[in-house]
Amino acid sequence: MRISIENFTKAFGTTTVIKDMSLEINSGEMLALLGPSGCGKSTTLFAICGIHRMNSGRLLFGERDVTRISSQQRNVGVVFQNYALYPHMNVFDNIAFPLKVRRDTRADIERKVKDIADLVHIGELLHRKPAELSGGQQQRVALARALVREPDILLLDEPLANLDAKLRLEMRSEIRRIQQQTGITAVLVTHDQVEAMSMCDRIAIMDQGKIMQLSSPKEMYEDPSSDFVAGFLGNPPIAFLEGVAAEGGMRLANSEVTLPVPAAINLPDHGAAVRFGIRPEFFQPDNDLKIKGRISFVETQGREELYDVTLENGSVLRSIQSQGGSFKLGDNVNWGIAGDRILAFDAAGNRL
Amino acid sequence: MQRSSWLGLAFLSPALIVVLLFFMVPVVLTGFFAFTNMSTATGVKGGEYVLNASGLRALADAGLPAKTLDQIEGAGYRVDARGLEALAADFGQPIADEFGKLHTGEVFAKRRDVERALKGLRSNPIRKTRDRKAAAELFKRSMMNERFPTLPAFEAALEEAKIPEADRPLITKVAYTGWVWTAENFGFLFSLESTWQYAKNTGIYVVFTLSFNVLFGLFLAIATFYLPAGQASTFRAIWFLPRILPPVLYIVMWRWFTWDTGFISTVLSGFGVAPKNWMLDTEFHAWTTIVLINGFVGASMGMIVFSSAIRAIPSSMLYASEVDGANRLQQIWHIILPQLRWPILFITSYQTMSLLTSFEYIYLATDGGPGGATEVWALAAFHTALNNYGGNLQYGLGATYALLLVVIGLLASLAYLRLFNFRNLLIKPRIEG
Repeated sequence: MRISIENFTKAFGTTTVIKDMSLEINSGEMLALLGPSGCGKSTTLFAICGIHRMNSGRLLFGERDVTRISSQQRNVGVVFQNYALYPHMNVFDNIAFPLKVRRDTRADIERKVKDIADLVHIGELLHRKPAELSGGQQQRVALARALVREPDILLLDEPLANLDAKLRLEMRSEIRRIQQQTGITAVLVTHDQVEAMSMCDRIAIMDQGKIMQLSSPKEMYEDPSSDFVAGFLGNPPIAFLEGVAAEGGMRLANSEVTLPVPAAINLPDHGAAVRFGIRPEFFQPDNDLKIKGRISFVETQGREELYDVTLENGSVLRSIQSQGGSFKLGDNVNWGIAGDRILAFDAAGNRL
Repeated sequence: MQRSSWLGLAFLSPALIVVLLFFMVPVVLTGFFAFTNMSTATGVKGGEYVLNASGLRALADAGLPAKTLDQIEGAGYRVDARGLEALAADFGQPIADEFGKLHTGEVFAKRRDVERALKGLRSNPIRKTRDRKAAAELFKRSMMNERFPTLPAFEAALEEAKIPEADRPLITKVAYTGWVWTAENFGFLFSLESTWQYAKNTGIYVVFTLSFNVLFGLFLAIATFYLPAGQASTFRAIWFLPRILPPVLYIVMWRWFTWDTGFISTVLSGFGVAPKNWMLDTEFHAWTTIVLINGFVGASMGMIVFSSAIRAIPSSMLYASEVDGANRLQQIWHIILPQLRWPILFITSYQTMSLLTSFEYIYLATDGGPGGATEVWALAAFHTALNNYGGNLQYGLGATYALLLVVIGLLASLAYLRLFNFRNLLIKPRIEG
């Protein structure tokens, strides 16, 4: 089911958290609300499920205006960050709860709980109490409870935040599998860009109550609209070079070095401040746009190695290379930037 | 034992001393008194031996032969120093001297014999028959109304009066004025109809007050939970007032409220209802008042405990139940109440204990009235042992009431501890010694 948020404003007391936000989520799509903590992503999620009421604006599920409808009647499934399982009920009763309060028949409840438990692979845990489950199992129960009454919309509030790294990987694909299998419209709130990029069809990246960019993960990575978005996506993160527009390109701050600028980028007038964003994979020994520096940090990540290179003016570029390079800490290097992959931003952080 | 254990014991010692002084010692003393017949009449120290009219009646009721009774009442006339002294005081020393010389040590069965002996005085005759009668009376030796400070003295007197051996133990027992060990209190207590009335009253009191406390406390906690914070704390503060009010003042206000010149009567008199004491006019009104008085105090405690327990429920759980489609009632029934299970059990058991033994509000409000309708067990123990209209304070019987209450309380605590699965609640010290 399509979700439309129109001119949504939310304030807690005198603090306005979200101002005049509009967002369209397509039917069957999984969308990530990505952003640093305090950016308003959870507030948006809670507004969609009705826990928070909108101060102004409209919320539509399909064609239905649900702005004034209580959360009980919105038919939304929510997975909370701490799962919010009912500790006094066993797994079966937890999953059955939405059906029970709807007064489904006992036979119906049994059947549906069994089906959904099989879908999330917890069929053999139904008699256990939440306290007797591992984090991943609790997560699956929460997911089953959210899905059991076949909601129009599935909301996931940092669902993987409490899991260990290995389980997180597993549940990532698991949630995506279930979402695609059920074809449900889903919204994922997360501060983890990898989660957002790997699980979702589209990402809405948020900062200070505003949506900075809304696009597919690939597009957002390759074509960020601002330095905030560029900086938020990618691991290891993008490195920025500060400078000013000059004849023939950008002159680095505190340096005589001038980097030539690809033709696609429209530089501002000479003397205006510019930032270049260079992703680690585009700063490699054999690229052509050479720049001198000294290796100031080496991190072995197994398959790859991460180098920090401090340039003559003190700026730092990152490079990620396949295992096997013979570079050591303190080596002077002359590596190159892939000129056509430079992301250029103006003083306000907007993409040039 | 390790040093840290001693430290723990040292920290505990003030509590242990208090427990010892104000719980263990009273309980032990109660157990001790319960097996005595101590009362105002016996005193708490030892007694004397004396037979009086009521003692004699008791002996007659106990089936003592009439002959023995006669012997006690009139043990004969003995010419002894005491009689002679009295004679000298009333009729002059010469008469006493002569009579003493003639008859000292003699025992006469009848007064007539003494009179005859008096007539036989040669040098100092008593002329008037009436005087001789009076003089003979001075030598009458009876066990009645004579105080014997020790058992041997009393036994000697019995011997002297020639009371049959078989009757002596019973007479001794009746004559003793001090307290004795006895287990009769228990049988006696249960033979009293009023005891069963107290038990019934206590049952009514505990069940109704407890239900009111817990249910009303729950209602307040849940109702205020759904109110905005400011209103909620105002309501809680109002409902907390009865608890922080001094009990005497609180009861005085209830009495003003219900008296025949009080609030209810005054208001109702405007509608033509005759004024009356709304607290004491019927048993039903008395009970209603008692339950409300105690209930409002108890409910505030339940309210505080339940409120904080509700607030300890993670808000995401309440959100979850809402998006799961549960309405308010379903939320209360399925989410909030199950998680209040332990606080409810705690309040129930705690209040049962305190209600079983508490009587201060009843004492101040109805004092067990009307006609003993609200006399609960603890109040009966207090009345019997320490404060009653008759003035004969029966410490022994009162202690028996109290001891039974202690036993009931202990049994109930054991039952509750089992219910709480107390052993599982005990946590080993986190820091190893």
